[in-house]
Amino acid sequence: MNRRSTLRLGTALLAAALAGPPLVSSALAADMIFSSGALAPVQEAQKMRTVILKDYKGKVTFLPDEPPALLTRLKAEMQGGARVTSLIGGNDGDLAVLAAGGVLAPVDDVAASLASRGFAPDLLAMGKLGTDKQMYIPWMQATYFMVANRKALPYLPAGADINALTFEQLRAWGEAAQKATGKRVVGFPAGPNGLMHRFFQGFLLPSYTGGVVTTFKSAEAEKAWTEFAALWKTVTPNSTSINFMQESLLSEDVWIGFDHVARLLNALEQKPNDFVAFPAPSGPKGRGWMPVVVGLGIMKDAPDAAGAKDLISYLTTDTTQLVTAREVGFFPTVRATLPPDLSPGLKMAVAAIQGTGQAKDSLAAMLPSGLGAKGGEFNKAFLDTFQRIVLRGEPVKDVLARQGETVQRIMTEANAPCWKPDPASTGVCQVK
Amino acid sequence: MTGRRALYLAGVVAICAWVLVPMWLLAANALGGQPVIAAWPKPWIPLSISFATLAEFLAIEGVFRAMLIGFEVAVLCTLFSVALGLPAGYALARYSFRGANAFRLMVLLTRAFPVGILALPLTVGFIRLGLYDTPLGIALMHTALALPFAVLVSASLFQAIPRELEEAAWVFGCSPFQAAWRVVMPLALPGVSAVAIFAFVISWNEVFAASVLSARNRTLTAYLLAMLSESPLSYQFAGGLLLIVPSVLFIFLVRRHLFAMWGIASR
Repeated sequence: MNRRSTLRLGTALLAAALAGPPLVSSALAADMIFSSGALAPVQEAQKMRTVILKDYKGKVTFLPDEPPALLTRLKAEMQGGARVTSLIGGNDGDLAVLAAGGVLAPVDDVAASLASRGFAPDLLAMGKLGTDKQMYIPWMQATYFMVANRKALPYLPAGADINALTFEQLRAWGEAAQKATGKRVVGFPAGPNGLMHRFFQGFLLPSYTGGVVTTFKSAEAEKAWTEFAALWKTVTPNSTSINFMQESLLSEDVWIGFDHVARLLNALEQKPNDFVAFPAPSGPKGRGWMPVVVGLGIMKDAPDAAGAKDLISYLTTDTTQLVTAREVGFFPTVRATLPPDLSPGLKMAVAAIQGTGQAKDSLAAMLPSGLGAKGGEFNKAFLDTFQRIVLRGEPVKDVLARQGETVQRIMTEANAPCWKPDPASTGVCQVK
Repeated sequence: MTGRRALYLAGVVAICAWVLVPMWLLAANALGGQPVIAAWPKPWIPLSISFATLAEFLAIEGVFRAMLIGFEVAVLCTLFSVALGLPAGYALARYSFRGANAFRLMVLLTRAFPVGILALPLTVGFIRLGLYDTPLGIALMHTALALPFAVLVSASLFQAIPRELEEAAWVFGCSPFQAAWRVVMPLALPGVSAVAIFAFVISWNEVFAASVLSARNRTLTAYLLAMLSESPLSYQFAGGLLLIVPSVLFIFLVRRHLFAMWGIASR
């Protein structure tokens, strides 16, 4: 390439690039923007665009983002005075940050007009975010459970009911399987993008201590971590790189795994005959579990508030809610009965989720709330505790004392009150 | 002699493997379909080639448009970086002026602050300027990220070209600008193409700024690949392959200039 042709090429490219923007942007001017921190993974976003929103009469652009980028962009739209987004989807915590930043408009009128849908009262109450106004409408819910390969079932301890497993029995199960196969077959999603922190916040600690924050360094918490460290001896060392349990279950690297339903469903759907799904184990204080709620909020001074309300109405009909459950593994927030022709994989997931929620010893632990931007730091405190006690074998009591200070500092800085299952607090939640 | 030759060959093989094995794994997984992804060790010879994963990925609504926008942004960023970086580098190399060292340092400082911290005020500013959600806006942001590299590389590039050549051109009647353009630039072309490659790749791969600064008009990375790490492996491999193809193509196109830079003319 000589100099002149380089120059010519450069000029042509510049001209093409500068001429580009008006051509592409004018094509999509009259749609409504639905920004979402939920359903962000490619496959789920794709299902949202091509299946769930297919029968909606209006034109919607579904725009998923990682929550940090989403929150920044929406706050900037608010402050810059150029609102592009109308409808916002996100989990409870992200919507709480947006509501605190004044980005959300109250949706009491929407809640009133959709009262006949039969939203679960608990979820609707969560949508108030501790204010007296409805800040979001519950859209979908999910939780975490366990899946086991059928090859692992022979090693289940005698007398154990897989649907009412205890942590003690899970450890015995893992040990028996390890003895027989020489392989550590239990798995947890402790990879860099895994959801391991939710296991501690919603399952392990509530099951052993009946709380999360207040009981962080209690004697019960010491027992929880000590016994979990013992359980870890049967857990595959690859766990620290597992982000999605379904991949490890399908490759049989893991025989008994815990994860979020959306990260297990693929395995259940692909090989329904190979797997069983069941609730996470219980501890001395009950069967701790974490319901995950995803809500819909409307941007303050949205460019198309009417369109946003209309789309909320569409997304919360029985039909759409069931389609959503089938396609992305997030379950209805309204009173909807599941049809009998459900796929076997989804049926297993629903049974495991219902088994969890309806267990006699069920103990719901909410997603951490009121932490705002401190949410990431809060999660890290639990992951650090895990690293130090379980992976590095440091003394439990010392680690809990040190990490307890960190957790307390985060709660104080965020000025966050306790959430369930910790007892309600007046003022900042205290580590006891 | 043979020992040295063996060592040399081993080095060549190691370097080739360093570059090619990950690319091969990516391609094998992207084109092999589900069975290959779950298999380990991977079959060395692909048993079956299936474009299903890739086709599924490309069929996602808006991917093609996002690729075009991503390409547009990357080209703009490349042009801006070269247009701004070369003169700055030339000035640093040829003239000694007050604050030259401070300037070198200041240029690097633009990379010292994480984009995450600057994102909110930056986006608000872009909205007020009317640059929000335009390819031009993203390209400007990416130029800011690529510029330190462009300036410092072109400065060392021009330093390596003897000043005497330019002076000879002046003697023969060139103006300083003509001398720079007709004598120095052709010699600098290989290095310039390296600057261009890096600007292109930085822009093509950047996620956070692109997703914060755009809504309807997203680059491929912001539209899809930001969430790739939380997607099934088949998507990750297909997306990964798509992500490296333009970069590899671009490097392939300018390879002659790169080779020339290392003294191996391939013409």
